[in-house]
Amino acid sequence: MALLEVHDLVKHFPVRGGLLNRVVGRVHAVNGVSFSVERGDILGIVGESGCGKSTLGKCVIRLIEPTGGSLTYDGEELFDLRHDELMPFRRKMQIIFQDPYSSLNPRLTVKALLKEVLAFHRIVPREDLDARIMELIAQVGLRPEAADKFPHEFSGGQRQRIGIARALALEPEFIIADEPVSALDVSIQAQVLNLMMDLKRDLGLTLLFISHDLKVIEHFCDCVVVMYLGFIVEELSCDELHERALHPYTKALLGANPVNDPDDARDLTVLQGDVPSPYDLPKGCPFASRCPVVEDRCREEMPPLEEKKDGQRVACFVVE
Amino acid sequence: MMRRFFRSRGVRKLVRDRLAMVALGVISIYLALFFMMWCGFLVEKEETFERVGANTEVGFFEEPTIEQRLLYLEFYLDNLYSAADSRTPEASLAAIDLYGRLPTLTDPDAVIERIDPLWEVYDELVELYEDDAFSDDPESLPRLEELEAEAATLYTEPEGLMGRLALALGTDRQGRSIFLRALYSIKIAVQIGLVCALISVAIGTILGGAAAFFGGVVDHVIVWLYSTFSAIPYIVLLMVLAAMFLGSAFEGTLVPVYTAFCMTFWIAPCRVIRGEVMKLRELEYVQAATAVGFGRGRILLKHIIPNTTHLMFINFSLLFIGAIKAEVILSFLNLGVKNEPSWGVMIKQATQEVISGFFWQIGAATVFMFVLVLAFNVLSDALQDAFDPKHV
Ligand SMILES: Nc1ncnc2c1ncn2[C@@H]1O[C@H](COP(=O)(O)OP(=O)(O)OP(=O)(O)O)[C@@H](O)[C@H]1O
Ligand SMILES: [Mg+2]
Repeated sequence: MALLEVHDLVKHFPVRGGLLNRVVGRVHAVNGVSFSVERGDILGIVGESGCGKSTLGKCVIRLIEPTGGSLTYDGEELFDLRHDELMPFRRKMQIIFQDPYSSLNPRLTVKALLKEVLAFHRIVPREDLDARIMELIAQVGLRPEAADKFPHEFSGGQRQRIGIARALALEPEFIIADEPVSALDVSIQAQVLNLMMDLKRDLGLTLLFISHDLKVIEHFCDCVVVMYLGFIVEELSCDELHERALHPYTKALLGANPVNDPDDARDLTVLQGDVPSPYDLPKGCPFASRCPVVEDRCREEMPPLEEKKDGQRVACFVVE
Repeated sequence: MMRRFFRSRGVRKLVRDRLAMVALGVISIYLALFFMMWCGFLVEKEETFERVGANTEVGFFEEPTIEQRLLYLEFYLDNLYSAADSRTPEASLAAIDLYGRLPTLTDPDAVIERIDPLWEVYDELVELYEDDAFSDDPESLPRLEELEAEAATLYTEPEGLMGRLALALGTDRQGRSIFLRALYSIKIAVQIGLVCALISVAIGTILGGAAAFFGGVVDHVIVWLYSTFSAIPYIVLLMVLAAMFLGSAFEGTLVPVYTAFCMTFWIAPCRVIRGEVMKLRELEYVQAATAVGFGRGRILLKHIIPNTTHLMFINFSLLFIGAIKAEVILSFLNLGVKNEPSWGVMIKQATQEVISGFFWQIGAATVFMFVLVLAFNVLSDALQDAFDPKHV
C-alpha cells in the first residue's frame, strides 16, 4: 500500500466582495487531484506558476483546509481529523517552503528556532538538546557559528538550509519540498538539491518534490505529476521522460527547457494563447486555449485522466 | 538578547540621528524629574498649594512696575507685622508658609518698633503714587528701594534650592509658586502619559492581534467595537466618563482620567497591529510553526506579536503625547485633574490672569509642556525611520 494516497483533492478559495462581504466567486486552485506516493519514492509535481502546486502541497499537511477529497497517510484518513488529532502526523510529515525569506521568523536565532521545535515534541532529552542542534546544523552543511545568528545574517541558500534543518528536526519520514530552490541563484540551486538528495538517501525519506522546472524533476524524481490550472494532465515515470511524454502540455514543458545538445532535433514548441483564469474555469480541457493539437471536442468536453501502459495516466482526447 | 538589541541596525540608525539624541536627552531629564518627584524628592504635592509670596508676583526675568512693587511691599510688611504681633511666626504663618522665608523674630517688640517707621514711609510712597507724582520726585525711587532692602532684612533667607527657585517664575493669583506647580505637573503629565500609553498599547495589541489572527467572529466583534468607539466624538466620551465617576470613590483621583483615555486610545494601536498581524500570519514562517504543531496561542504570542514591537514603540510614543495634550483639554473643561496642579489646571487658571496682562502662569505651563511634546514628536519620527522594516 502506498504511504500517501490523495483522492479527488479539491481546494477553492472563496473570493469575497461587495458591500456585505459576501462570497462572490471562487478561485479554483486545485480541482480534483488524485495521486499516490510509495514509501521511499520521490514524486515530482510540475506546472507553471499559479497552477496550484503550493496549494496542493499545503493541503496535504492541512496548512490550508481542503475544500473536498480525501487523503490517507499510512492507511489513516487525515482530512477527517481535528487539528489536535493531527499532532502525531505533524512529526511524520514536514514541509520546506518556497521562499527562504518569509519562511524564517526574523526574531529567532537558528538555535532558538531548532530548540523550540525539539523541545516542543520532546525529540531528545533536555540535556542532549544542544548536541542535537549542532548535529542538525552540521547535517545541513552550515558552520557551527551559525547557531547564534539571526536569519537576516544569512544568504538565501543558507536560509533554505535552515528551513531544511527545521523540517529534519522532527525526524519526519515524509517531506514536502515546495520549490525549495526556485528562489535561489542557479549556482546555489545545485548545492541545495544535492544536499536534499543526500539527506533523502541517508534518512530514507519519502519526498513530494514540487517544482516548475521539469529538468530538475526529471533528474531527481521517480515519478512526475504534471499539473495545469489545478488539474492533473499527465502522470508518468521519470525514466525516459522524453520518449514517453504524451500530453501536449508535458511536451511543451520538455521543449521549454534549455537543451544541452544543440543537435537535438526536438520540436521546441512555444505555447501561444492565454492561460484561463482559475476564477472562471473553461468548460472543456483546461489546456485547450493553448494546445497546438486542439480539436473541437476539446473545447466542449473535459478529457478524463485515463490510465495507459505502465501506470502512465493522460488526460487528452487527441493523443494515443 | 539585550546586547543584540543595542547592536541592531535600528538602534544604530537612531543613535546617528543627532536631533533624536537631543530629544532623547530632554525626555530623559523629564523622566529623571518624574522619578525624583515620584519618590518624594524636589516638590511634594502640599508645597504646590503653599503661599510663597505676594499675589501674581512676576518672575525673576521681568522688572515689576512701581504699583506691583508697592503691592508686594504691603504684603510682606503686613505679614511681618502680624507675625510679630502674635509673637510666634510659626503659628501666624501656618496658613502662609513663605517657603521657609520666616520673619526674623529674635525680639518681637524690637521688630514692631522697626516696622512702624517703615509703614510711614510706605504710606507716603503710596500717596505719591496715587497722586501720579511718583516719577516727579527724584527722591521717591531710592526711598522705595531702601524700603524694600529694609523689609528684606527682616526675613530669613529661603531654604534650599527649591526655596530660591520658588519665585523664579513668579506666583499665581493665590501667591503659589508657578515654578513649583509647573515642575510638579511633570509628575502628573508623565504619570498620565505612561499609564495611558502602556495600557492602551497593551489592549490595542492584544485585541488587534487576536482580531487579525483568529478572524471570524472575534474579528467582527473587535472591529465593531472600535468602529463604534471611534464614531463617538472623543471629547464627548471623555466628558460622559468623567461625569460617571462623579460621586464615586475615585472622584478627585486620576482614575477617571486614566479610564477615559484608555477607552479611546486603544483604537489607534489596535488598528495598526491588526493590519500588521494580518500580513504576518500569512507568512510562511507562521505556516511552518503550524506544521510543527504549535498551538495557535503560542504562535500568536511567540511568533507574531514579537514582530510588531516597532509598531508598539511608535504607538506608545504617539499616545504618550496624545494623553498629555488631552489632559490639558480635559482639565480645561474641569473634568480632568482635581486637587493637584497640572499643566491643564494651570492653563485654565491662567485665563483670568491673562486678561489682566499677567502671562507667567500660562507661559510656564505651555513651555514645560511644549518642550516635552516636541521632544516626543521628534523621537517618534526618528523611531519610525529607524525601526520601520521598510526603511532599513
Ligand atoms: N489564500 C488564497 N486566497 C485566494 N487565492 C489563492 C490563495 N492562495 C493561492 N491562491 C490562488 O490559487 C492559485 C494557485 O496558487 P499556488 O500558490 O498554489 O500556485 P503555485 O503553483 O504554487 O505557483 P508558484 O509557482 O508561483 O508558487 C493561484 O491562482 C492563486 O492566486
Ligand atoms: Mg508555490
